[in-house]
Amino acid sequence: MIRTQGLTRRFGDLVAVEDLSLEVREGEIVALLGPNGAGKTTTVRMLAALLAPTGGQAQVAGFDVAREPQAVRRHVGVLTETPGLYRRLSAWRNLEFFARLYGVRDPRPNIERYLVLLGLWERRGDPVGTLSKGMRQKLALARALLHEPAVLLLDEPTSGLDPESARSVREFIQELAGERRAVLLCTHNLPEAERLCSRIALLKTRLIALGNPEELKGQLFGTKVLVKLANPKPDFLQGISLPFVKEARLEGPTLAMRVEEPERHNPILIRRLVELGAEIQYVTQEERTLEDVYLELVEGEDEA
Amino acid sequence: MRLKELVAKEWEEVFKIRLVLFSSLFMPLLLAGLAAYLVWQGRNLPQEAIGAQVALFNTALMYFMVLPVMIPVTIAVYSIVGEKEQGTLEPLLATPISDWELFLGKALAAILPALALTWGVFGLFLAAVWVMLGGVPGMVLSAPWLLSLLLLSPLLALLGVLVTMLVSSRTTDPRAAYQFSGLAVVPALVPLIVYSARQAAVNLFLVGLEGGLLLAVDLAAFWLAVRLFRREEILTRWK
Repeated sequence: MIRTQGLTRRFGDLVAVEDLSLEVREGEIVALLGPNGAGKTTTVRMLAALLAPTGGQAQVAGFDVAREPQAVRRHVGVLTETPGLYRRLSAWRNLEFFARLYGVRDPRPNIERYLVLLGLWERRGDPVGTLSKGMRQKLALARALLHEPAVLLLDEPTSGLDPESARSVREFIQELAGERRAVLLCTHNLPEAERLCSRIALLKTRLIALGNPEELKGQLFGTKVLVKLANPKPDFLQGISLPFVKEARLEGPTLAMRVEEPERHNPILIRRLVELGAEIQYVTQEERTLEDVYLELVEGEDEA
Repeated sequence: MRLKELVAKEWEEVFKIRLVLFSSLFMPLLLAGLAAYLVWQGRNLPQEAIGAQVALFNTALMYFMVLPVMIPVTIAVYSIVGEKEQGTLEPLLATPISDWELFLGKALAAILPALALTWGVFGLFLAAVWVMLGGVPGMVLSAPWLLSLLLLSPLLALLGVLVTMLVSSRTTDPRAAYQFSGLAVVPALVPLIVYSARQAAVNLFLVGLEGGLLLAVDLAAFWLAVRLFRREEILTRWK
């Protein structure tokens, strides 16, 4: 649905996006993460055929963004960073206007459908300026869907929403992916990305990591096993110098180790510790968050 | 289809702004009333005061030349700056609307009401003069006057819109855009002002001269505005 190959955009001497190769498949939600100025918005704008790439290629819904921009725009739904709605017009009129620009002949059924789905039906006649920020965000999401696009580019879809609204929007996005649409989600909300997306693309002008959250954590940090002991002794460290154990150290009463394959190696490790006389209180695995991955990669990129 | 939809939305939106509605409806009526008053004032001046009569009539005509600029500037300022203020430009550009449709839609939404109102209130002005004087003076219902209305009004309206587009792309303050855009048209009215000062009646030469001048300025402004009205320019350069 979305396929980029070496996608690049320069503004004069400034390189906003460099050599981005990425694929988002039908029914998949991919998060585009990165610090401010990383090129996320420029990427979305190129994929929405709003900006022409200065290098590389991108195909969206089967159309080339540089050669067939009108066709791309017809098949893409975009949720911009700010809702961007006409405040003096009603919610219904906003949707009707955009639907007609997208070439929807009879937009009424879809307007009704999405207003009901997003809980805005009762406010359809009210000027957008009187709606809350969350309602406007939902209305902008409805606008992105009126022409039933195969591809959705969503920039911070839950930004500024209360927790309940944010959850309903997240569930809605999951339903959209269930309808076999490809969704590219730009967000700074890392737990949201982890919860919603099958894969994460970390961008900092160029793509610095791509994979599902668990893969990224594993690649970056390995798996850290924590063994809490009732009788911690430095001798245990020497006793567990096994080939698959890396970076073992005693942190207070806890023995912290990296192991290559926890499912296979943990039983051997525990047996060995018991043989050494260790009194094990519990064994756990250190939880790394997507935030850890993000910070590690972004800071690593800064240092590089 | 898209063009029609865009124009309809523009009108629906900008005419909800009281200032735009006031400027678009009240000011034309006021200026037409003033023009009728000037003609009435100059109705029976003696032969030796013919110069004063000409100046009064020229001023009346100038009111009708101000309208095709003032109305579209007001509409276009709020239409373009309004899009910027509300952050609607990007969603708008993300639709399949072409750059040309967007440009034309914005321009027509401002020009059409300006012409309709200018010509409409000119009709009211003629009716008022006819009622007040029992007829319309030949100098008013003359070829130079009618040509001014038919030829210069569209050119002035176009100039107003184009200059507004150029100015509005660089500001987010509608008042500043309005002031700059309004000033830009003064040079186009200079020949008429000079004629009034010299108490010389508007003639076909003057109308032709102004028409030529406006056409040249319009073409230059059009060239600049079209270059400015490209998706990438709007997204990356409009502040």
